[in-house]
Amino acid sequence: MFSERERERYKRQMMLFGEEGQERLKKAQIFIAGAGGLGSPVSLYLAVAGVGTITIVDRDVVDQTNLNRQILHFDRDIGRKKTSSAKEKLQEINPDITIHAIDVKIDETNASKLIGNANGIVDALDNYPTRYLLNEVAIAKEIPLVHGGIRGFYGQATTIVPGTTPCLKCIFPKPPPQEVLPVVGATAGLIGTVQANEVLKYLLGIGELLKGRLFIWDGIQAHADEICVERNPACEACGSKAKKTPAREKK
Amino acid sequence: MSVKIRFFARFRELLGSDIMTDAAAGTMFTSLITTVAKKNPEGYAAIFDENGAFHEFVILMKNGKRIEIADAATTPVVDGDEIAVFPPVAGG
Repeated sequence: MFSERERERYKRQMMLFGEEGQERLKKAQIFIAGAGGLGSPVSLYLAVAGVGTITIVDRDVVDQTNLNRQILHFDRDIGRKKTSSAKEKLQEINPDITIHAIDVKIDETNASKLIGNANGIVDALDNYPTRYLLNEVAIAKEIPLVHGGIRGFYGQATTIVPGTTPCLKCIFPKPPPQEVLPVVGATAGLIGTVQANEVLKYLLGIGELLKGRLFIWDGIQAHADEICVERNPACEACGSKAKKTPAREKK
Repeated sequence: MSVKIRFFARFRELLGSDIMTDAAAGTMFTSLITTVAKKNPEGYAAIFDENGAFHEFVILMKNGKRIEIADAATTPVVDGDEIAVFPPVAGG
């Protein structure tokens, strides 16, 4: 059931998918890994859409160099935990949803538990080793992982549906070296919005997801490309070589 | 014969986007990319290591199909092929 305030808040989108769709969003739990460049637009758009429970995890503190792109955080938040800043903004932008903001580093000992009973995972991280952990948990729990990555004016996104699509390791078997990446906020905004849109479609059961398709954005040329990606039968995460580790046990 | 090479992300920044290249019959995937990448030392270093092998994270595709790095040196390109070379984009 929706309050009068919720009905008014969601009026323009309930024109698209009705009360039933809105109810689906309200009942949903989404896990967002990272409250930075991608995590900002993803969490803001999922919050205003009325996704009922959002868990957002980050262990960093807001730094001045974050502010060109991480639009959840303001100048006054410098030095503050990103989770604290994120929770305040998200709760303010939509007081009718539940926000869990957890200040922890995601690792192999806690990833599965942190993700818990979430209906989906959003990859808003800045490194591949932790992305591979999310990938493992998504496969084990059979829930989608919406991947995004940005650098400069370039970005990429794809939606991984375990058992159906290639997993992150099928597509990117080896991590690139870690470096301090140049980036503009608009790239994070564009890719993060694509990711939020994927989550909404998945929860609503409408449209076509980026399944088996790597969306590639070139902001310099203002050109979007799509590369078809396939499962790797020998993939060490989802293929026949995949090992049964504790992370792969079902919830 | 004519082959189209498409670099993405950082590789595109350094080497350009859609490159049409003339290659001799029998040219292999790795040698074609090596020749094109050498036009910019920074672009070459982004794709290849000091031994001239692809960095292990580089993704190679030919006509929409993945080419394993280990097979690239012995995979011939033919007229009309479309090749894609790109890195995983890591930032968030």
